[in-house]
Amino acid sequence: MNYQERTLYGTLIADLLVYVLYLWHPAKTNSLGWIAGSILVLIVAQIIVQSAIAIRTRNLLQDERDLLIRLRGYRAGYLTFVICIVSGLGLLWMHEAFGRINPNRMGIHFLSVMFGMLIVADVVRVVTQLIDYRRAA
Amino acid sequence: MGGIRNRIRDLRAAQTMTQQQLADAIGVTRQTVIAIEQDKYSPSLEVAFRIATLFQVPLEDVFQYDAAAVKAKK
Repeated sequence: MNYQERTLYGTLIADLLVYVLYLWHPAKTNSLGWIAGSILVLIVAQIIVQSAIAIRTRNLLQDERDLLIRLRGYRAGYLTFVICIVSGLGLLWMHEAFGRINPNRMGIHFLSVMFGMLIVADVVRVVTQLIDYRRAA
Repeated sequence: MGGIRNRIRDLRAAQTMTQQQLADAIGVTRQTVIAIEQDKYSPSLEVAFRIATLFQVPLEDVFQYDAAAVKAKK
């Protein structure tokens, strides 16, 4: 397993851990502080994980194939994000239309959907890249 | 991948060169050399020329385009 794959596994674990922690919010209601805190924890976790992997890896070389795989991953992640965000906002609008969501809290629910979709898109990006590495494509 | 075939494994064996040595010489990772040798990845022109220059052979002696294989796939 090369350096790129290790960083991808690190990213995947950090993404999933932070999102699971986010979902296990004790108050069970969305709040700006909880979403912002989760994003902050995610950034800090990524920095720690990536630094640890970089320190323990001797060969940090990145070549044209790595860049191609990265591009494919970002394309898959971007498409997922666009599809998910449109669907997520559509569902949010439906819930609001049927009176299941307090319109005054729409902003916070929007942020929550956005954060969830960002995580989903990032997981798709990472998994796409890992599949490409495993297939040696 | 596609119809590009190569003889890198043979050329490397002739010079008793490891995949890592080849990778270091042409500035790519060993995983990329493995992918190229297995015809799963077609390198850029620049890397292709670097490989040919390293083995001191013309480019077409390293890489061949198998048009029949591409046609058969379609």
